[in-house]
Amino acid sequence: MITLLADAPSGPHAAELEQFGRLGGLWRTSIIVHPADGSPPRHARGEWEFGYALEGRAVIDVWQVPPRDELEGGQRQPNQEIGLCVRIWDPRLQLWRFTFHGTASGAVVHMFAREIGAEMVLEQADGGRLIRWIFSDIGPASFSWRSEVSADGGGTWRLEQELTASRQKGAAWPTTQ
Amino acid sequence: METSVGRPIELIAAPSNLGLRIPVRGREPGTWRAPAALLAAGMESALNAVEVVELPRPPYTVEAQPATRIRNGITLREHALALADAVCAALAASHFPVVLGGDCSILLGCLLGARRGGRCGLLHVDGHTDFFHPGNYDTATRLGSVAGMDLALATGRGELLLTHWPEVGSPLVADEDVIQIGDREAEVDGHGQLPPSIARLTVQEVLRIGIDRAVEQAAESFRQTGLTQSWLHIDLDVLDRRVMPAVDSPGSPGLDFDQLGALISGLVRTAGVVGLDVTIYDPQRDRRHAYPAAIVDCLAAGLAALAAGRA
Repeated sequence: MITLLADAPSGPHAAELEQFGRLGGLWRTSIIVHPADGSPPRHARGEWEFGYALEGRAVIDVWQVPPRDELEGGQRQPNQEIGLCVRIWDPRLQLWRFTFHGTASGAVVHMFAREIGAEMVLEQADGGRLIRWIFSDIGPASFSWRSEVSADGGGTWRLEQELTASRQKGAAWPTTQ
Repeated sequence: METSVGRPIELIAAPSNLGLRIPVRGREPGTWRAPAALLAAGMESALNAVEVVELPRPPYTVEAQPATRIRNGITLREHALALADAVCAALAASHFPVVLGGDCSILLGCLLGARRGGRCGLLHVDGHTDFFHPGNYDTATRLGSVAGMDLALATGRGELLLTHWPEVGSPLVADEDVIQIGDREAEVDGHGQLPPSIARLTVQEVLRIGIDRAVEQAAESFRQTGLTQSWLHIDLDVLDRRVMPAVDSPGSPGLDFDQLGALISGLVRTAGVVGLDVTIYDPQRDRRHAYPAAIVDCLAAGLAALAAGRA
């Protein structure tokens, strides 16, 4: 599969592609899940790997919980998640189109995304809810991510998940430079 | 306030029906036919237009589109961006754009184009508040129709898809920079209720105080906020259903054509109007073609000062 990945963004929208492309590389993640029923938060660890794809027209990532070095016997169980995200900048909409495919959950998620201030905000309207996934505090060695849901059209938001990511040294994917 | 007198009028045809629900199974809303009907009725010569730009008709989709609970939401964003380019180009050429809709969803593209030049108020002349947003109706049970949401979206309420825009960000216009004119008191049911931060003159108030006084109030309100330019949105359902039944949601009481022409004229003269859109006329509801001539005459009267500037 040598045609999937790319070393750098390409084409007239390279600048937009770098909004997510700057996350290129392998990250260690620490996740806190806040159950909707108010029960105590759950903690998890994982890996998140980002890189350019499709001749530099897309940014993809692989989401894993738990990380590979915590898999029992080196094997991921059917209920342990490894999923794929694909992000493509759509110049006609001036937005990112985003899809996530979860192999364990079976979830297929469509979202739109846009840079808002210093954050990358992804949003999906699902039934009566708005769901946002937000990347923030993006730096060379770390970033934050959170999932929020609103049942009142964005008036109030409930935190579902929060995550901190630390870059794994010596494991970066090729980036723009 | 800036003045538009002396600016040549440029017509922009925006044949959209994306913001309306299907009125009858198997038949799309007919507002997309309005620009052609108005041009055929002589709009270009009546306004002494210097140019006519015709945008393509965007495709209408019955099915929900991915990740949005707004009918035609994705197509609508693409169309709004194209319309914004056309409006921006007209303003850059020192023209006065008159955008022929189309349903009220075209307001987003118009406002986006106008806002690229800086702060711009909104005179929302409409028989309804068009203020539905996910916070005041159940998005799970039905798709949202932007023709009933355009003011909410313009003020930043609703999905990211139609509230966050390149160059301008969000909102397209602040609450304090909006005046809603012409909705009917009896129809406010709590779902389209405006917040106190948006100034409002109901049609009952306009009819009671008269057009001249309504224009003075609107202009004074804008002056107090420091606005120097504004966009004028005209939904023809502000007219009384007795004189204009060929719209999606006709109502009464309402203005007559002379009153609407006088309102447009007054606002253009005093409220820094840099361009306007006229929406919701549906030729499919007007089988006898009874209304295009009256709409043309109304706009010609309202914009007489501009049209005369090129005579």
